[in-house]
Amino acid sequence: MGKLAITRSARTYQTAVITPRTAPALLLAIVAICQIGLAKTADLTPWKGGGFGMFSTLDHNAYRRLEVVVEGTERSEALEIPPSLETDAARAAAFPAEWMLRSLAEGVTAREKRYRRSVSQVTITVWRTDFDRTTLRASERPLRVFTYTVPPESAPVH
Amino acid sequence: MGTVWFRQGTSVELPQTAPASDQPADHARATTFRSLYLSPAPAAYLDTALRLTAIALLLRPMGPWFVSPVILSAGVLVLIFPRALRNRTIWRALALLVAIRIADDWPLADNHIYLLCYWLLAVALALRTPDPPGCLAVSSRLLIGLAFAFAVLWKVALSPDFVDGRFFRVTLLTDPRFGAASQLLGGLSKSELDANREAVVPLPHGAELADPPQVTEPPRLRAFAMMSTWGIVALEAAVAAMMLAPARRTGMWRHVLLLAFCGITYAFAPVAGFGWLLLVMGLAQVEERQVWIARLYVVTFLVVLFYDQLPWTELALDFFRGG
Repeated sequence: MGKLAITRSARTYQTAVITPRTAPALLLAIVAICQIGLAKTADLTPWKGGGFGMFSTLDHNAYRRLEVVVEGTERSEALEIPPSLETDAARAAAFPAEWMLRSLAEGVTAREKRYRRSVSQVTITVWRTDFDRTTLRASERPLRVFTYTVPPESAPVH
Repeated sequence: MGTVWFRQGTSVELPQTAPASDQPADHARATTFRSLYLSPAPAAYLDTALRLTAIALLLRPMGPWFVSPVILSAGVLVLIFPRALRNRTIWRALALLVAIRIADDWPLADNHIYLLCYWLLAVALALRTPDPPGCLAVSSRLLIGLAFAFAVLWKVALSPDFVDGRFFRVTLLTDPRFGAASQLLGGLSKSELDANREAVVPLPHGAELADPPQVTEPPRLRAFAMMSTWGIVALEAAVAAMMLAPARRTGMWRHVLLLAFCGITYAFAPVAGFGWLLLVMGLAQVEERQVWIARLYVVTFLVVLFYDQLPWTELALDFFRGG
């Protein structure tokens, strides 16, 4: 009985496209194609996201930099990324989509408020380093600029 | 349509668009394709591959606090208990945990963590079939072939700074993990390397110096960078082609290329976890008669372990420079 069932299943399995043999590879291909799409349209670093673009380009987090500027009552200053936000910052640098940058800006805002510092706006600029083809001279250019205005109901602390 | 997840002792059939007899030509073509590309060679080292997978998991703890201890525990169980080694629930859980690890800080996970997740899924699925070694041999061949094919695609077609050599020229200067190799094989002195690292640091906000410092690139370093650029492309393309070609036609050559890739690349590339995973997946394809190939996989696994633990390029640099 069991043997018959195996034979019938095996026959059907022979004609299937998605099988235990092929399913993981299909998943790999789908994720990699999506990663290429995100890298080409939304500045996801080719090194990340499952597309196997590591060691293929200088466009990775070592050559991307975030600049965070906080504005509030009588203040406008650039912040160092604190350790508690390093992972969020790394994610935003690797994939500077609006929702990633917003999440980081909200984290910066919450932290500023915890320290009772005025904050009305957070501006995040993602910089990318390019290298000259001949001289290797490095220069920075902005990849993305995101401005987050703190909602009025969570007004700045004075 | 027609998809069936085969489970030993059960039978589940989905409706097909038309009976196979209605489409004899299509069916024959599909059968030929499958017999060429997807029929397994008689792989024989499944248990060794699974044990080495568990060891690789233990060597590289990963993930947040709610994932890491569970992965490590599963790795220990698989190594200790023979019945756990082929327990598909454990492997399925491991695949899920690694997927959670990827999602937890997406997109920061390295590519080999994705490949590990697919591999663990492949193991879990293979253990549901009547022929786990054969199934896993095909899965691993497709996974390695596609991973390498996408890596070549990125290097050759999608990244302009790779094909013109800039990637390795800059990386050999700036990445501290390649510093010793740049001095040893590229002929740079320590002071030149330090000066070069200063020279390729950009000024903030796109500013430029009127008289910027020049990068020193000895001919040997340029040659090393170009050799790395095209050597890695050639090797990766060859591995991809061999893995995606019909298994019976590539024979032992796909193993030779994969072993060569791991033996060369992971001497310099600081991602031993990737190397171990590729070796485990290669071992899963080895046939019973290929005893020496199986041994070479295990030896190369250990060699990559030594690459990872010994600062061999620094030691060689000290030796050749009399330090």
